[in-house]
Amino acid sequence: MRALGPGSVSSFLKIILDVVYVALWIGAGVTAILALGSLVFDIDPALFGRQLTVRIDASGLPRQLLTTDLFAVTAYAIGVLIIVDRLRRIFSTLTAGDPFHPDNVRRLRVVGVMLAALELGRYPVVAVTLWLAPKADVSQSGVNLTAWFAVLVVFVLAEVFREGARLRREAELTI
Amino acid sequence: MPIRVRLDRILLERRMSLTELADRVGVTIANLSILKTGKARAIRFSTLEALCRELDCQPGELLAFEPGPPDDDLEDDEG
Repeated sequence: MRALGPGSVSSFLKIILDVVYVALWIGAGVTAILALGSLVFDIDPALFGRQLTVRIDASGLPRQLLTTDLFAVTAYAIGVLIIVDRLRRIFSTLTAGDPFHPDNVRRLRVVGVMLAALELGRYPVVAVTLWLAPKADVSQSGVNLTAWFAVLVVFVLAEVFREGARLRREAELTI
Repeated sequence: MPIRVRLDRILLERRMSLTELADRVGVTIANLSILKTGKARAIRFSTLEALCRELDCQPGELLAFEPGPPDDDLEDDEG
């Protein structure tokens, strides 16, 4: 399978990233409007069925919990949006034939920091959810080791890219 | 970089322009400028050979070691 160009793995990944990027913009926009709306209007939590982060009967949700959840989902979507945005930029350097661009090191570090921030941000949301609805069955309420492992992997890759960028620069200045 | 490339002086002695040297050696003027201004990090033996051939000189005449501050990290060059 080709590495670049039409029908290649990278073009397939690029399509996925583009679709996810657009979907996240729409998702973040909708949840932000709903979150702000829940502050002003009395939205019936039952409208959301069982799709919220807490798996309890939505009709029994306190209103504050709905608002908290909506803001949390919006923040999560924005966080993932930032990650996907950086991945798209890294991909644009790849398709341009220059994947070891020095900017990619910074972009990968941003991805690592955002992954860590998303995982850290989950803890207070879970805590608030359990405080407002003690009977809530919150999925993965503990520390997610996979998430922290992903953070580690991204930071290691960022260091690899840093060395790659240094070698690229050295090759550029070899006459 | 404590290694200096004395291209300027040799070009002056040979009364040769950078453009002419670039044509003869087969290296772009931009790259020769990098070499001349001391921004280059390394020089290939093939480039050195071509320069010595066209300028009729020894590598030792082209390069000089001038003790100075340690080499900057490449990352600092990125700006």
